[in-house]
Amino acid sequence: MPKTLIVAQSEFTTLVKTKAFLVSLILMPIVMGGSIMLVRATKDATDSKDRTFAVVDYTGVIAEPLKAVAGLYNSSTPSALDGVLPRKGPRFIPVEIRPDGRDANALRLELSNRVRRGELFAFVELPAEILDPAAGASIRYYSDHPSYNALPQWLRAMVNAVVLNERFRQASVDRALVVRLTKQAPIDERGLFEAASDGGVKPAEEVSVARAIGIPLAALVLMYMTIMTSAPQLLNSVIEEKMSRISEVLVGSITPFELMMGKLIGGAAASTLLSVIYIAGGLLVAQYWGGYASAITPAIVGWFLLFLILSLFIFGSLFVAIGAACNDLKDSQNMMTPVMLLVMIPVFTAGSVMRAPDSTLATALSLVPTAAPFLMLLRISLQPGPPMWQIVLSVLLMAGTACAVVWAGGKIFRTGLLMQGKSATFAEMARWVMAK
Amino acid sequence: MTNAISLTGVTKQFNGTLAVDDLSLAVPSGSIYGFIGPNGSGKTTTLRMIMHILLPDRGEVEVLGSRDTAAARDKVGYLPEERGLYKKMTIRRLLRYYGRLKGEATSRLDASIEDWMRRMELPGLLDRQIETLSKGMSQKVQFVAAVVSNPSLLILDEPFSGLDPVNAQVLKDAVLEMRRRGATVVFSTHDMATAERMCDRIFMIFRGRKVLDGSLESIQNQYGADTVRIRTAGGAAALADMPDVEAVNDFGQLQEVRVAGDPQVFLARLSARTAVYHFEVTRPSLQDIFVRIAKP
Repeated sequence: MPKTLIVAQSEFTTLVKTKAFLVSLILMPIVMGGSIMLVRATKDATDSKDRTFAVVDYTGVIAEPLKAVAGLYNSSTPSALDGVLPRKGPRFIPVEIRPDGRDANALRLELSNRVRRGELFAFVELPAEILDPAAGASIRYYSDHPSYNALPQWLRAMVNAVVLNERFRQASVDRALVVRLTKQAPIDERGLFEAASDGGVKPAEEVSVARAIGIPLAALVLMYMTIMTSAPQLLNSVIEEKMSRISEVLVGSITPFELMMGKLIGGAAASTLLSVIYIAGGLLVAQYWGGYASAITPAIVGWFLLFLILSLFIFGSLFVAIGAACNDLKDSQNMMTPVMLLVMIPVFTAGSVMRAPDSTLATALSLVPTAAPFLMLLRISLQPGPPMWQIVLSVLLMAGTACAVVWAGGKIFRTGLLMQGKSATFAEMARWVMAK
Repeated sequence: MTNAISLTGVTKQFNGTLAVDDLSLAVPSGSIYGFIGPNGSGKTTTLRMIMHILLPDRGEVEVLGSRDTAAARDKVGYLPEERGLYKKMTIRRLLRYYGRLKGEATSRLDASIEDWMRRMELPGLLDRQIETLSKGMSQKVQFVAAVVSNPSLLILDEPFSGLDPVNAQVLKDAVLEMRRRGATVVFSTHDMATAERMCDRIFMIFRGRKVLDGSLESIQNQYGADTVRIRTAGGAAALADMPDVEAVNDFGQLQEVRVAGDPQVFLARLSARTAVYHFEVTRPSLQDIFVRIAKP
C-alpha cells in the first residue's frame, strides 16, 4: 500500500474513533433537533403573564369596542371582525381611563408612574383625529418595555380594525359588504408541467417552502458544519505531532508531502463518511415528515460530496500549513481567523444568493473557489439551478485552486514541521512558498 | 569494506548560522559509530541530513549506497533525540503504523514486534496506551519502533539519555544485537564512557566541523601519554603551583593530571611535596579529550 494511504488510513481510523466525531455524529443532530423543538415549544408558551394597559380614548368611541375585541381575543372566541388574531401569548386587558378634561401631560405623568409601579404594563392614547383618515394621526403607545412588541403589534391590528369599523359606520357604508367585495384572490404557486410517460401531461406540483428553501439551506448548513469541524481537526493533529516530535519520526520514513496528503485524504474520508451518514438521516427525516426525500436527488448528493472533498483539500491544506508553521495552539488560533473568514463570508452572503440565484452577483460569488462549495451548491439546490457550464467552471476553478493550495501548503508544511521556537508569520510562510 | 554512510563536503546553514561546515565522513558498514560533541555543535543536524529530514546546502550525502537518501529510508531505523509517540495509541497500533511506513507487511511486523518487546522486557504490554507508560518504557518502545522493520542502518540520537542503569543496559544489549544482525549503528551521546566501551569508531563535531574521527586508540594516540593518574597524601592541594601541571581533574581520592613535560620529572617533584601512593602514566580518556577540545 502506498505510504500516503497508510497515513490516510491511520488518520481516518484516529478521527472516527475520537470523541469529537462521535459527538458530531450522535449528539449534534439531537442537539439541533432538540433546539428546534424547544424553540417551537417555548415560542408561545413562555409568556403567559397578563398585560394590563390603560386606554386614554379621546375619540370616545374606540375604547368600548376595543375592550369587546380584547374579550374575544382573550377567550379565544372566533370573531367576524377581520384582523382579530387567534391568541398565542398572554391576555391583553385594556383599562379605560377617561380624560375628563384633565391636563394631558399631567395624565401622562400619572399613567407613567403607574407603569413604573407595575400597576400597568403600558398605556395608549387614541387621539380624536384618528377617525379622520386625512389627519394622519398616530396611535401613541407608552411603555418601559421597549423590546416587547407583541402588545403594540396587537394594538396596531385591533385599534385599526375598530377605527375602520367606526369610519365605515360614520360614512354609512356596510363594512361587511366592502370586505366581501375587496377580498383578494390567493396565489397558488406551482412548478411546471411535464410530459408523462403515458403520453399525457403530468400536472405541475405545488411549490413547497420546505422543498424549495429547506433542502438548499440544509445542504449549505451541512457543508459549513462539516468543513468547520473537520479542517480544524487536521490543524490540531499536525500541532500535536509537531509538539510531541512525532513529525520527526514520520518524516524519517515518509516525505512531508506524502504525510500531508495522507492527512488530507484521511480527513476528507472521515468528513465524507460523516456527511453521508447525515444525508442518509436527512433522507429518512425528509421522507417521514413530508415525503420530500425525492427532492434530495442523487445529483445534489453527488455535487455536495464533490464540493465537500475539493473544499476539504483547499481549507484542509491551509489549516495543515498553519499547524506546521505554529508552535502552540494559541498561535494557531490567531492565524486561523483569516481562514475561518474565508469559510464564513460565503455563508453571510447566502441570503442574497437565495433571493436571486441567477443574479450576476450570485453567479460571480459562486465561481469564487473558496465560496463555490457553499454558494454554487446552494444555487444547484435551488430550482431550476444554474447552467451546467457554470457548475463545471466552478469545479475546475476549485480543483485548480486545490492543487495550488496543496502545493503551497506542502512547501509550508515541509519547512515548518521541524521548526521550533517562535511561530512563523504569514510573511515567512509566503517566503517558504516562494523558496526553491 | 563498503561504507553505510558517506558524507562529502556537507554544509548546512540556518538563517545565516553555520550548523555544519564542510563535513566529510565515512561510516563503515557493520560498525558502531559514536557521534560526540557539545550541545549545539551540529550532531542532530548531521543525523537529520543522513535521514533526509534536512537537505544539505552543499555537499553530498550517500546512505546505503544511494545518493537519493529518500530511497534508502525504508532500510534506515531512526530514534530521534526527542521521543515522538502518539499518546492515545496502543503500543501495538503504533508499532504497526511505524513499521508499515517502512514498507513492512503487518504479518511480518507482528512477529518482529513480539520479539523486540520481549527483548526490551516489555512483554504483555502491547495493548497498553502509550500515555500510561513510564519515561523509560516509552523510550524502549521508541527504540522498538526504530528496529521493528529490521533496518540495515540504525541511527540513534541520544538513545541512553534519561535511562536508569538497568534500562540503559537493556538498550545497549539491543544495540549490540542489531550489530550482530549485520546492521550499522550510529548513535550520538554525551556519555563518553558508553562511547568508549561500545563504539568501533568515534567522530566528534565541534562548531559544525569535524575535530575527531577514528578508533578510540588512534584518537588517544594523537594526544600521547601526557596524563598521569595519582593518589597522594596531600590530594589535589599538593598539586598547587606545580609548574608542569597543565590541568587537574580531581575525583577526590584520585586526580588525573595533564603534565607539560616528562612524567618522571613530575613524579620526582611531587614525591618531594607529599607521599605518593599511586602513580600511573596513562593516555587521556575520551572525556578528557572532549573537554580539552570543547572547553572555552
